[in-house]
Amino acid sequence: MSQLTEEQTAPPKRVHRQRSATQWAVAWRRFKRNKSGVAGLAIVIAFVVFAIFGPLFAPYPPRSTESLLQGQAGQPPSWKHPFGTEINGIDVFSDSIWGARNDLWIGVAATAIATLIGLAVGALAGYSRGVIGGILLGIIQFFFVIPTLLLILLFSRVFQVLVYQGFGVNLIVLILGLFGWPGISFVIRGEIFRVRELEFIQAEKALGAGNLRILFRHIVPNVLTPVIVLASLLVAGNILTEVVLFFLGFGPANVATWGELIEEGVQYVSVYPWVALFPGLLVVTLVLGFNLLGDGLADALNPRLRE
Amino acid sequence: MSDEVLLEVKQLVKYFDVFSRGVFTRKKVGEVHAVDGVSFAIKRGETFGLVGESGCGKTTTAKVILNLEDATSGTVNFEGRDVFELLKSGKRSDILQIRRGMQMVFQNPYLSLDPRMTVFDILSEPFIIHGHIGRSDWTARVYELLTKVGLEPYHAERYPHEFSGGQRQRIAIARALAVEPKFIAADEPVSSLDVSIRAQILNLMMELQRDQKISYLYISHDLSSVRQISHRVAVMYLGEIVELANTDSLFEHPLHPYTQALISAIPIPDPETKRQRIILPGEVPSPLNPPPACRFHPRCPYAQEICRTVKPVFEQVDTDHFVACHFWKKFA
Repeated sequence: MSQLTEEQTAPPKRVHRQRSATQWAVAWRRFKRNKSGVAGLAIVIAFVVFAIFGPLFAPYPPRSTESLLQGQAGQPPSWKHPFGTEINGIDVFSDSIWGARNDLWIGVAATAIATLIGLAVGALAGYSRGVIGGILLGIIQFFFVIPTLLLILLFSRVFQVLVYQGFGVNLIVLILGLFGWPGISFVIRGEIFRVRELEFIQAEKALGAGNLRILFRHIVPNVLTPVIVLASLLVAGNILTEVVLFFLGFGPANVATWGELIEEGVQYVSVYPWVALFPGLLVVTLVLGFNLLGDGLADALNPRLRE
Repeated sequence: MSDEVLLEVKQLVKYFDVFSRGVFTRKKVGEVHAVDGVSFAIKRGETFGLVGESGCGKTTTAKVILNLEDATSGTVNFEGRDVFELLKSGKRSDILQIRRGMQMVFQNPYLSLDPRMTVFDILSEPFIIHGHIGRSDWTARVYELLTKVGLEPYHAERYPHEFSGGQRQRIAIARALAVEPKFIAADEPVSSLDVSIRAQILNLMMELQRDQKISYLYISHDLSSVRQISHRVAVMYLGEIVELANTDSLFEHPLHPYTQALISAIPIPDPETKRQRIILPGEVPSPLNPPPACRFHPRCPYAQEICRTVKPVFEQVDTDHFVACHFWKKFA
């Protein structure tokens, strides 16, 4: 008897049954079944590991012309120089490793900045009605039509002093980040238009929830899926932009990136074809990896393809 | 049910502006007359039915009452306080007090629950907003709410997509109950559910009304369910109430031709009974451009010249029976 009354008076404990699968867990299960998506993820993870730990094993420091002094400039691939060396004696294998680090940093950091700005501006533009919404839309459209590549070309000349002080890579990150967000904003804005009229948002209003609570706790989590997909594609786009930039000769000098290697390699492509070939293959592989990952995510997160 | 008025709606009007868009300009080209001068009062513990065809302004009426849409004009008094005024310029505490008093249950239970939240989070959300339940009591209260609407405590850890439509509607009702409201606007709460589930949800609503004296605004186009659950019923046509009466009186002696047509369309589960269906000619006119005078005249089988020129008065014809028709005496 005493046990019974104790049970009745004690406050009920939260039933710890297994918490059921979140939508993210369901999406992950679906993603795992998609072979090309998993391949993309594997490529991306491999490059990230390569970028983080590779420099520990890189035989030479970045942009090192040590081999030139040993008479080893312009050597084809060998055991000593797996990707060969270029005309100044720079070891292509070493610089590819250092380049992976810089390229991933440019791709990921610029995407992070662009995504945060895009999310904030898009969310506000989608949620505010009337004049403010119109002004924000105007701002998004203005940034959307600015040709980012030309701006970068311009800024890398204007801020040449900064570039010489070793700020080169981060300058590219900043410009790509600060001008790369309008696409994400457009998508977010449209998604918010869709979600904000749904009945669970109205139910929140009826409960008396404030605007910020509704926007950031209920609307934004429900529009994140396309952002994840767009962000993974944007990383690939940013890496390609970096390559184009260096290829056109506008990259900051003395920075080891794939684009720099390709630019150097192309000048002597008939004599030393390996200089452009190997970093080129790396660019293609990594960009392919991010694109496969993005496609896989898009399929896995699409609610209309429910099993 | 007592005679004390809980919620009073006076001359409620909601027009939606229609724009034509140019490159830089937006020109107003018209208005949709969704709700046009609707007045009624709901007593404590009463279920007030609101019926009408799709697009006649039932849902808009409910949304405007809860200020989910801004009213064009008119007032709503809740416990004698002006709802729109308080929500617009009142203190945060006044706003929360109004919000705690009035809740809404929506038509589509597949859209009315946040898909990224567990049931526990959905049901404790009102506690966060209003702070009327201490954090240590949340679990107990969530379980109590779930039990009250006929679900089990272990359902709290699940996500909405794991439930059936009927179960989701129970969760939506539980969320409305979480703030202990005095009034719930139920917008076609059973129309998207299986017929076998409908009775369960309606019984649940009636039980809750008995236990907690909740008043309902029950919106539906399903007359049988309205008859089952409502104490009084108003019939809407093109944004206006054309007849309002207590349930028995309305279903036994409908005075407005439109009400008569609606009631004649209720299916009777007996193949032997001969039905006199009144078939209305034409379509519901566009609310962009409602017909003058009596809005029902283009489709009314009894329409005369006066119906096209003079707007009928919404007059009292019995103790609890109002109708807006020039010829109601013909049908009395």
